[in-house]
Order: sequence, then structure tokens, then C-alpha cells
Amino acid sequence: MRNLLLLLLLTMLSRSTLAELAVITHMKNNIDTLSTQQVQDIFMGRTRVFPNGKFCLPIDQSSPLRAEFYQKLTARPVEQINAYWARIMFSGQASPPQQLPDDHAVLQTVRENEGAIGYIDKIHVDNSVRVMLLLK
Amino acid sequence: MKYIIGLLTTIFLLLSYTTPFAKEVYPKFTVKGFGTFGASGTDTDRLGFRSDIKQTSGVTEDWAIDTDSRMGLQLDVDINDSWHAMAQWVARNSTGDFFEQNLDWAFLRWRPRNDLDIRAGRLGIDTFMLSEYRNVGYAYLWTRAPHEFYAGLPVYHFDGVDIAKKYSVNDGTLTVKFFGGRSFTQVPTNVSGSAEQNLVLAGGKLAYEYGNWNARISYNYSQTNNELAPLQPLLDALNRPDINSVWPDAQYFVPYLATKNQSVHFSSMGLAYDDGIWLTQMEASYTDTNINLYPSVANAYLSMGRRFGKVTLYSLFGISESIHNPVKVSNPLMPIPDVVQLRNVTDQLINTNGVDEKSISLGLRWDVSQNIALKTQWSHYWLGNDGVSLWLPAAAGPTPDTVNVWSVGMDFVF
Repeated sequence: MRNLLLLLLLTMLSRSTLAELAVITHMKNNIDTLSTQQVQDIFMGRTRVFPNGKFCLPIDQSSPLRAEFYQKLTARPVEQINAYWARIMFSGQASPPQQLPDDHAVLQTVRENEGAIGYIDKIHVDNSVRVMLLLK
Repeated sequence: MKYIIGLLTTIFLLLSYTTPFAKEVYPKFTVKGFGTFGASGTDTDRLGFRSDIKQTSGVTEDWAIDTDSRMGLQLDVDINDSWHAMAQWVARNSTGDFFEQNLDWAFLRWRPRNDLDIRAGRLGIDTFMLSEYRNVGYAYLWTRAPHEFYAGLPVYHFDGVDIAKKYSVNDGTLTVKFFGGRSFTQVPTNVSGSAEQNLVLAGGKLAYEYGNWNARISYNYSQTNNELAPLQPLLDALNRPDINSVWPDAQYFVPYLATKNQSVHFSSMGLAYDDGIWLTQMEASYTDTNINLYPSVANAYLSMGRRFGKVTLYSLFGISESIHNPVKVSNPLMPIPDVVQLRNVTDQLINTNGVDEKSISLGLRWDVSQNIALKTQWSHYWLGNDGVSLWLPAAAGPTPDTVNVWSVGMDFVF
């Protein structure tokens, strides 16, 4: 049991890799930056609009980056985020953000949708999107 | 039934061919589901443990899977930006029509603005913290919703309308919600088979979410619309002149068995805290009724847990105490066996509906993957003299003062 707990702790630690994540939006989005709290509210379904009142379309990932993103954004493991969404979606309140397979797909979708907001590894950011927040 | 399964399979197969692309294409269909596969057993054969009073069978020393196992399927349709439809059906151990009674949600939602939701159709009842999703084991910590608090609620849904408005207050979110409608619930009776219960209900809740904190208060008024049909022969017998000639008090007990046009008031408050490591949750409620078959009751529970990586250890303490005065049922003038039996059944129905229960539970949840959790729980129940109506009498004779219940299970979402 103790070995098992140690192993679990090690898995937890090794997950905090060195990647820096960038929260990105469309070039035409006129907001300067978003706070961690504002990005949380959008990805946790507490709001469906940007602070400027415009409709937003959060894009999640189905890649391993997802666990890292929520750990950095909410300081909670992804299992807790999934349990949170189970409560919200199975009581008919809201649906979780749509998931795309990788950074490339997110980048492409954010470029094409004015309201989109997604996250990718910082090294994949180019000048076709705007960075709203960096998560270390 | 076969038709519905076929339909759902077809929809599912069609949907699995859609390509991942984030542009909102309407209408958008999504199928998802949840389930629990669990087994439990106790250390007595004198009482059957059930997770709520809508269940017709319970577990004893013989372990079984139907107290905790269930599976739900949900279809969501985004019609456009502001309209949404949803249906959810849950296969579970319950009384009554297997399709109709287990259809927990089927509604149309209109969201005219970001912070306002109006839903109409079949809806979950938002009277308590878990009452909208107590089937979804993956969404909470314990093996089942706290017994003392939730087992006495046979109503899972109602047909009507709810309106929820959100406000930003001091960096937190305040939700104000009102709901109203009718419910039709089939409940098991000790007398014979199931009984149908029609209710008109209305209520509201106030919830505040701030950082790691979640607080709520709510109130729900229900009025019963009918007598319980299985009791009718008994009521007729109590009114019969020949019976009243041997047992003059018989007719006096009829009002005690009445369920029509009676009021039930549910009031509750809840508080939850979760910082990612420590989590605690408590609720307290008072149900005020003038129905003898469903006496007033005060319930509360407190849970505390700590996460160690993917494993969460928790404890849970619950209490439920009925508040009612026993009614003395007189004896017939002559000990005619049939009349004595009538007297005893009347006594039993009027006086053994109480709940007098406390429990402590220790348990473990292990999130083995991103959508599967394994759980195990030990609960120790203290059962008082005032009634064990949350349980099922498995054998005649005295009921035990304490019962241990062990459970293992797996919760998943997909």
C-alpha cells in the first residue's frame, strides 16, 4: 500500500513537465489579456461570454496536454475536473467544451473562429493567433 | 423498449461517424452516459438494506448487485445557440413502470441570455445538493448518496418548468432558481405491490459558489393529490358498520391513513468546501408533513475527505430522526381473529413509518483512469426504536440494533 501511494505520488510529480501552455484566441479578439480566473470561468462553463460580452467557444483537447492544462489552471487533477463535469452535464445544466485531438487542430480552429478560445503548447504559437494567458 | 434501444443504437452509430471539428454545426447530437457496477452485503438477514425507498429489494447477508448498480444514457441536442434538448434514462432497481419511472430527464431548454436558463419538460428536482444527480456515482465521493439524507426520497423527477438566473456577486456566482410542476411516482408499499403517488410541487433554491466554497438553501412545497390505492380495501374495512360494531374506534383511524390533499414542506441548507486536497460537505434538512405514512423528519450528514494523489479517503456521518407521536390503536371489544388482524395492520401502518438511524462510514475512492473510479465503503448503522422504514423487513420479528454494510463498486462515465 505504501509503495502504491509512493508510486501514485511519483506519477503526480512527473506529470508537471516543463511545457508552458498558451491560452489563445482569434486575431480579431480585442481583449488584451485574460486572468486565470476568467479562463477558468470559461473552461468550467460558468460563463459563455468573454469579459467584453462577446460569445465564446472554448476548445478543449483530448491529448495528454489536457491534464496538464487543468492542473495548471485550477491546481486540480483532471479526474476532479471530469467529476465536476459529470455533475454539470448529467443534471442538464451545460455541456463540456468540445475536444480536439492536438495543438494543430486547436490552432486551426482558433484561426477560423472569432469567438474561439483554446490552449496549446507555447512552442506551437505563431502570429496567426493571440495569446491571452501563459500557464507555467 | 426494444424499439428505443434500437433507436439509441442507430443514433449512436450515426454520431460516431462525425468528424472532430469545432465550428458549431446545428443541430449537434451528443450521446453520453454513466454507470455504477457495485456489490454490497450486510451482516444481518433480518433487514434488507436498500439505497432508497423506491427500491423493491435490498441486500442482506447474501451480497447482491442491484442495490447500487445502475446505468444511464443521455442524449443532448444543441438545436442552436440558445435552444437545447436533453433526455436521460437510467436503468436501475426501482418500483413501477421500468421505462416511464426511470426516464429522469426529457426537456427543452431556452437560454435567451448568458445568465438565464428556462427549462420545460421532465426535470430533476433541485431540492438538495445531490437530488439532481444522485445516480451519477462518478460525480461524488461516496458509494451512494448519504443514506440518512437521500434514502427517504422516492421522487427523482417532475414534469414542469424551472427558471435559473445567475448573478456575479463579489467574484462568486449566485444562482437563483424557481421550479414548479407535477410528479407521478410509483412507490413500493408493505401492504401489496406498488402505489401511485401524484404530487403538485413548487420550490426554489439560492446557491452561492465562491472559489472553493459552495453554499445553498432551498425550499420545496408538495401537495399530494390522491389516496394510495392499495390502502383502499383497508380504509373500506375500517368504515364498515359491522366492523365498527365490534371495534367502535375503527373509523376513527381512517384519517390517519389519508394521503390526499396533504402538504409536505422540505427545507434544507448545504455547504461544501473543496480545495483539491481536503474536501468537506454537509447538509441539513427538515421535512414537515401531516401525513402519518410519511412523518416529519430531520436529516443531516457531514462528510470529510482527503486526497492522496488519485486516492481519496473519506468519512461520513449521517443522522435521520422522525418527529412524530405514536398513535395508540385500541383493541376490538371481542377478539375476532379477522378484526384483530385488521387492528394490527392499522397499528403497523400508522406507527412504523418512522426513521431512527445514525451511521458512520469510512471509504476510499480511487480514480484509476480519467473516467473510472473504484470505491469501497464500510458503513455502521445504529437503528433506534422509532422505525426502520428506510430498510426492508426481510424476516418477521425484532430488527437488529446495529448493522454493518460493506460495498465495493466501480463508477464510470463515457
